Amino acid sequence: MTKAGDWQSYRRVLLPPVKDLHHLDVYRAQGGYEALRTVLNDWKPEEVTAEVKRSGLRGRGGAGFPTGLKWSFMPPVKPDVPRYLCCNADESEPGTFKDRQLMEYNPHLLFEGILIAGYAMSLKACYLYVRGEFSSWITLLQNELSKVYDAKLAGSNILGTDYSMDIIMHKGAGAYICGEETSLMESLEGKRAYPRIKPPFPAQSGIWGYPTTINNVETLACAPIIIDRGGDWFAGVGAKKHPGPVLYGISGHVNRPGVYEYPTGMLITDLLEIAGGMRDNKKLKALVPGGASVPVLRADMIDGVTMDVESLHEAGSMMGTAGMLFLDEDTDMVAFLRRVARFYHHESCGQCTPCREGTGWMENLITRIDDGEGNLRDLDLLLDLCDQMEGRTVCALADAAAWPVRNTIKRFRGDFERRCRPSAWAVNT
Amino acid sequence: MPKVIIDGEEYAFEGRPSLLQFCLDQGIELPHFCYHPSMSVPANCRQCLVDVGAPVRDRETGEFQLDENGEKVIRYFPKLQTSCSHVISDGQVVHTARSSEKVERAQRDTMEFLLINHPLDCPICDQAGHCPLQIQAYKYGPEGSRFEFRKVHKPKKVKLGPNVVLDAERCINCTRCVRFTDEISRSGQLTIIERGVKNYPITPPGVSFDEPYSMNVIDLCPVGALTSADFRFQARIWEMASAPSITTTNAKGSNCYLWVRDNLVMRMTPRPNPDVNEFWLPDEDRLTYRWFNENRPCGPAALNKSGACSWDEAIQETAEILKNTGKETLFLASARATVEDNWMLMQLAEAVGRQVAGYIPHIEPGHGDGWLRTDDRAPNSQGCARLGLQPIDVKLWSARLEAGEVQGLYVLEDDPVAAGLCSAQALDNVQVILHYYNTTNQTLPSANVALPAATVAETIGTFVNEAGRAQRVVPAKAIKGVNRTLMMQMGVSRADQHGTPFDRWHNESHYVDCKPSWEIIPLVARNLGVEIAAQSPKKVMQHISASIPAFTGATYKAMGLSGVTLSPIETEVAS
Repeated sequence: MTKAGDWQSYRRVLLPPVKDLHHLDVYRAQGGYEALRTVLNDWKPEEVTAEVKRSGLRGRGGAGFPTGLKWSFMPPVKPDVPRYLCCNADESEPGTFKDRQLMEYNPHLLFEGILIAGYAMSLKACYLYVRGEFSSWITLLQNELSKVYDAKLAGSNILGTDYSMDIIMHKGAGAYICGEETSLMESLEGKRAYPRIKPPFPAQSGIWGYPTTINNVETLACAPIIIDRGGDWFAGVGAKKHPGPVLYGISGHVNRPGVYEYPTGMLITDLLEIAGGMRDNKKLKALVPGGASVPVLRADMIDGVTMDVESLHEAGSMMGTAGMLFLDEDTDMVAFLRRVARFYHHESCGQCTPCREGTGWMENLITRIDDGEGNLRDLDLLLDLCDQMEGRTVCALADAAAWPVRNTIKRFRGDFERRCRPSAWAVNT
Repeated sequence: MPKVIIDGEEYAFEGRPSLLQFCLDQGIELPHFCYHPSMSVPANCRQCLVDVGAPVRDRETGEFQLDENGEKVIRYFPKLQTSCSHVISDGQVVHTARSSEKVERAQRDTMEFLLINHPLDCPICDQAGHCPLQIQAYKYGPEGSRFEFRKVHKPKKVKLGPNVVLDAERCINCTRCVRFTDEISRSGQLTIIERGVKNYPITPPGVSFDEPYSMNVIDLCPVGALTSADFRFQARIWEMASAPSITTTNAKGSNCYLWVRDNLVMRMTPRPNPDVNEFWLPDEDRLTYRWFNENRPCGPAALNKSGACSWDEAIQETAEILKNTGKETLFLASARATVEDNWMLMQLAEAVGRQVAGYIPHIEPGHGDGWLRTDDRAPNSQGCARLGLQPIDVKLWSARLEAGEVQGLYVLEDDPVAAGLCSAQALDNVQVILHYYNTTNQTLPSANVALPAATVAETIGTFVNEAGRAQRVVPAKAIKGVNRTLMMQMGVSRADQHGTPFDRWHNESHYVDCKPSWEIIPLVARNLGVEIAAQSPKKVMQHISASIPAFTGATYKAMGLSGVTLSPIETEVAS
């Protein structure tokens, strides 16, 4: 029995197997927007937050911050100070594609979650910031949103109650950095997406300088489920300290890549089996458990490791976005890292010196090694650069760029050394 | 009073100062690029990192926790903090590079990053010599470089606007220039484009960086990325001497430095003065420096002596004319001349039994912008007003001059013809004595005696700006017959101090043959048999501040280099 419990008989709630669930009438026929009705009619806002706290829901955007706690950071309501909710749908972490599925197959769960969260924090508007590349999903979301408005489920006097709230969709323009919460706000405000210095945190000064809470798509989609089934039910699903259903985005050299909904705390080996095992019966070499920026795990490090914050931390990685990338024995780790480094070089916004200059330098060095022209000392220089970048910038992009470099080199040092030109002097070890 | 411990030393502070500014105020050096006291704090250069901690208090008792040695336990922030964005609070402990190896390494690391893509073209870069990056790289940077790749290439010599040229490769993306146009001048004409290491500031498509304050970004730029289209490649910083002065293109009296090489003014830069111009200078002020160098006269001239003559002859001739037509002479003071010059003229007019009629107003309605540009295009209208001089009635005197009712005209450092007071023909039968700066002066052909006067860059004197602030100027360049090094108050460069007149950089023709009006007028008076009591500008100001209430307190000592605000007076500065 794993932390995930009886996962074989787990029934999906985020992406239930219902045809055409993205249509409003189908969603309502399944009991959709009933959680919202219950909340608006019978619950006080603080009761909603308390229930989310009880559920133990942690943010699904990568950092895993407790959602109920985040909601309670919002300052007391003042009548003349607007406050905002922001839904971060700028999903662009390499290896992560779960929010997209939610937006495509169950958009109303997201809308309902947004409205419930908005009610919990007594606010009147939510910005839904969608990654610009998701253009077809944006059209879909926009269509469904207008139906939601037509059905009086959003806008003024929702479901005949006193509560009014708007959902405003905003399309990103194609920068990874806009997924960072503060630069997302800058981008929303029409400025260049440079992350802001924290403090002040968004709950004090967010969009237009007003109190703002920002949540990931999947996080907000959990809200109706928590209301519907109760915080205790939610807390009982999966790992105790990191409960709830999670969308695992499995990709890489597996037979059936895709998005799988299971409880947290699943054994990585179980998930690999679910995804049909490794392609062509090859051996697993490495696993990136939560999107490109989390440290890579070697195949021998994943025995007994489960997909939750605690277990992955012990194993030397992070849960991230649960976008799992399985790499088989033929994978060239240098080429893999080269591609990852290229991504961060390309996406660094260029605000802070260490990230702006460091990401490019890293890519240069790894490219040189990949081309067979690297020196052994380059590996140490790379590790040095990781030290020089980590924790020295406004946002976490530099960290996200440094972690995979550091850990891939550390955990696959042999692969890198073999590609480097031998040292001029023999090294005795 | 709350206290903060920096490198083991305790400092008291008030309010909520930023750690960086506080350190700078205490004389503790912290390397930084993006921070500027008058603009928002982006903390993007990451150069000013320091280690900050606070003593740990016991949760229950509220007492400080002590370690086994009885010292307070300090809990440090998990990451190094940028001191520019860190607000100090009571009891905090700060370690700069002076006491922490960790901080020293962090600063060296950041410097290494800054330098990897920065071109090593200091030998041809205008900023070299006063470049924060260069200076701080020597002090805080690593030795050598570990970067073995092609540097990033970006656009070079991009003309952003009429006055500013960009070299994007040198840019370190501190965003000072962009923040200046966003927050200070509010023109919004600059923005950062591209992403990551390709970032650089530029104007939006189709926009020229032509705002009236554009050149301030050149001073703000901590590297040589933004250079002056005008000054680019003209002089090295170490070849020039700088002298504190004020600008004279308008009545704001913005404080500036005049940069001089081989006795030519090469450029003007702002001199910070929180009470006048803060850190800024409008472009129009900066670009006027050429009139200190070009079209300058070579000695006095008198019509009777058929042209060029000696100073003695010119002064005798002046006295002669005043003796003959003195009682019918119109004395014009000048809002362009110093208080001392105007006072001297008043003494001279009195000596021949006349009053100074006033000064020619130089008002250009709509020119002012409520900031550093004013409608009044002359620097000293307020100073004249405080001497009791009023702007003349241009229409009245114009009519009289055209009608030939005036027999003599004594003009102090102004140009009545160009100012539209009269036509050149009207002066044909008038005895004109002219103190002038440039040979482009349109009254010059009509002058019976032309006396070249020292400009603001060459004289000592006082100007009073529109807000009633009396400010002193010192000579920046020498005039003929004055040895630079002997002029006590003049800025001197290394070449001045250690060079000789035989050096290649030395050009005798750059020494203009002119005299300050405060020196000319007493000589004229002496020829009329009148001795003006106070001879030097310093003594004149002492006399004025003691005898004229509107100038109370305006002594050279009190003015110093940043000026002194005089109590307001009721004036009618030309409307």
